[in-house]
Amino acid sequence: MMRKEHAKLNPKRLLQDNSVPLMFVVICLICLPLAGYSPSYLLNELVTRMGRNTFLILSLLIPIMAGMGLNFGMTLGAMAGEIALILVADWQIWGIPGIVLAMIVSIPISILLGVFCGNMLNKAKGREMITSYFISFFMNGVYQLVVLFMMGPIIPIMHATLKLPRGYGIRNTVSLLNMRQQLDNLLAINVGGVKIPVLTFLIIGVLCLVIIWFRRTKLGQDMRAVAQDMEVARDAGINVDRTRIIAIVMSTVMAGFGMIIYLQNLGNFPTYNAHVQIGTFSIAALLVGGASVEKASIGNAFLGVILFHMMFILAPETGTTITGDSMIGEYFRTFVSYGVITVALIMYETKKRMIKSQTGHLLALAQKEEEERAK
Amino acid sequence: MKSRRLIFQILLVLILIAIGGTMMVIGRGHTVYFDNKSLDYQGSTYASPYKIEIYQGSSAEGDALSKLYDGERASATQIGQKITVTLVITQEKGGDEADPVTYTIDLPYNMDGPIINLPAYLAGLPEEAYLSEFIPVITEDPDEEVPTGGDDMSLGDF
Repeated sequence: MMRKEHAKLNPKRLLQDNSVPLMFVVICLICLPLAGYSPSYLLNELVTRMGRNTFLILSLLIPIMAGMGLNFGMTLGAMAGEIALILVADWQIWGIPGIVLAMIVSIPISILLGVFCGNMLNKAKGREMITSYFISFFMNGVYQLVVLFMMGPIIPIMHATLKLPRGYGIRNTVSLLNMRQQLDNLLAINVGGVKIPVLTFLIIGVLCLVIIWFRRTKLGQDMRAVAQDMEVARDAGINVDRTRIIAIVMSTVMAGFGMIIYLQNLGNFPTYNAHVQIGTFSIAALLVGGASVEKASIGNAFLGVILFHMMFILAPETGTTITGDSMIGEYFRTFVSYGVITVALIMYETKKRMIKSQTGHLLALAQKEEEERAK
Repeated sequence: MKSRRLIFQILLVLILIAIGGTMMVIGRGHTVYFDNKSLDYQGSTYASPYKIEIYQGSSAEGDALSKLYDGERASATQIGQKITVTLVITQEKGGDEADPVTYTIDLPYNMDGPIINLPAYLAGLPEEAYLSEFIPVITEDPDEEVPTGGDDMSLGDF
């Protein structure tokens, strides 16, 4: 207990553990006066983006809890959400009922994709992140096959506004005008010129409570045990493979819901690439919030959304102020997104190697002592 | 224990299906068109009034959805299987406005854009007389759209 408290109060350790969020705080503080945005504009943007993205980012927590690292396969859930939205848009179900129906329709698709992804990851234990990354690429091809060639002839699509002029396949952009911000506007309140989407935040709040509750359940404890040591967990009678599949399925279903919340806020989506980068950006946001490959909390998700999006909002205008070209800001935020993931992965590997070498060193010392004692 | 879990799972699926079904009914969206046009039906002519003010809802307060003069059309969007409108009718030019009357009109589930002919509806004619479907006409050959499957999305949209 004392040791834990000491570790918490150690400023060097504190700085080391929170280096990424601190770096982003510094970047935001530098950009803030240069961008010259009014506080109400900034807050409005930030609150909108929090409502839009937090659910997606929270969907990453369960696989981390199960020791499967950052789930790049959340893209699969995003695809399920998009397919559900295309179908609901074709059925002409509007407003909140349309959003609820899309969520329900996305569940079986997400489960199916999640089970597939989970099984694949079980075959690639220890290399989950890279595997899930490539599964998302592979599934993107399948998604394009379904949306481009099967929607119309096999999956009935009735409306010409959705179909390509050739008669099958979905157009480049799907309009969700009849669902646009329905979730955000219901129960929304205005505080000092800042629109707060209360219902969206309530849904996010419920998900947070579910995650907290889930950690305490038997399955949640099993996932943590699997994350600690798979062999020990197996010896303790935990079905490791099944537990890991459940973690991925849960994450995929949540990502599907998150994508629907995200897209209803935007009001339309590019059919063939809306999901492609969603995993990367969500993971980057989580890492910016101070999470790591093996540890992430709800607090990390919220802090990550705030810092990452603050940078997203400020960077283009700051780029324009400094260089006269807003594209500099765009490039900056692009390389930061990818950079932060790279740094997190390097830090994870370095830490793992350090622990391994320390253990090896301790073992060697113990062996040496034993040999001396034997002499 | 296993059978209890199975029952729970089946129940959950049934509940989700029920919610989905309910959403399909209550969330069905329509673009409703209102016509103020004369109509010939079974040998009788139903003349259109000079002006119809349409208010969406059960009162004639606030801004009117549209003021339809003879031969004009207005549209409104509606979620659900019924639309409630309040009509204020002026029969002749320079004449007095009648008291507002509220009507609830059933909308067929299978029609995206039902057209309601108001003179026929007000005359109490059957559904086949006052209801038809709006079918958009494509007048030009559509440009071929090339699906793009790039690997990025505007960062600003995230």
